[in-house]
Amino acid sequence: MNSIRLSRAAVRACPAAFRVPIQCRSYADAVADKIKLSLSLPHQSIYKSTDVVQVNLAAESGDMGVLANHVPSIEQLRPGIVEIIEESGGIKQFFLSGGFAVVQPDSQLSINAVEGFPLEDFSPDAVRAQITEAQKIVSGSGSEQDTAEAKIELEVLESLQASLK
Amino acid sequence: MAFSWKAAGLTYNRYLAIAARTVRRSLKEGPRLQAERRDLMDLKFAKWESGKQGEVKPLAAANAVAMASQAESK
Repeated sequence: MNSIRLSRAAVRACPAAFRVPIQCRSYADAVADKIKLSLSLPHQSIYKSTDVVQVNLAAESGDMGVLANHVPSIEQLRPGIVEIIEESGGIKQFFLSGGFAVVQPDSQLSINAVEGFPLEDFSPDAVRAQITEAQKIVSGSGSEQDTAEAKIELEVLESLQASLK
Repeated sequence: MAFSWKAAGLTYNRYLAIAARTVRRSLKEGPRLQAERRDLMDLKFAKWESGKQGEVKPLAAANAVAMASQAESK
């Protein structure tokens, strides 16, 4: 008896929903499991509000994966890899030199970096040569600023070398 | 360790510039030649006082001096 009453209530509720079909199923509902990704460099937009499934970031606070409906946050990025899982299931990887990722409440993700390149653009030999160079400066007796700059270079290069393996 | 460059007086802007420069230098020949053009910065500035232009200085050198004076060891 109780269930019949319930189903009647459901039948009564239905016409109201059909009167405004747009509210039943909107475009936003249909694509709610996607993130709109913008990956921008000062000189180029690699992604421009493109729907993707997941983005893995190397944030200063730790590695993180961002899916749709992620909690809004601002993350400083380490020099490292950003991994993008596209709608087709393909995975794209870029090495970013550092910047910020902003997760907005409506499943929008904006990543800003100074330089970003796909991994196949890097030369392992150039990385190795620069590591020896930077290590020389770090252990040398240059100014405090020169040593600090060489340490930054080492941080970037070691991350790059680990990514290229 | 994470932000040891801060102790040396370096700004975040400088940190990013160095990281980007390192990334550019690690590229293969083709994309590197393209990218390294972005590394050039040749701004100069001068202070004007009572209608007269002062000494013209390169911005990069002036920034280096400013960062050295910001170091914690000073």
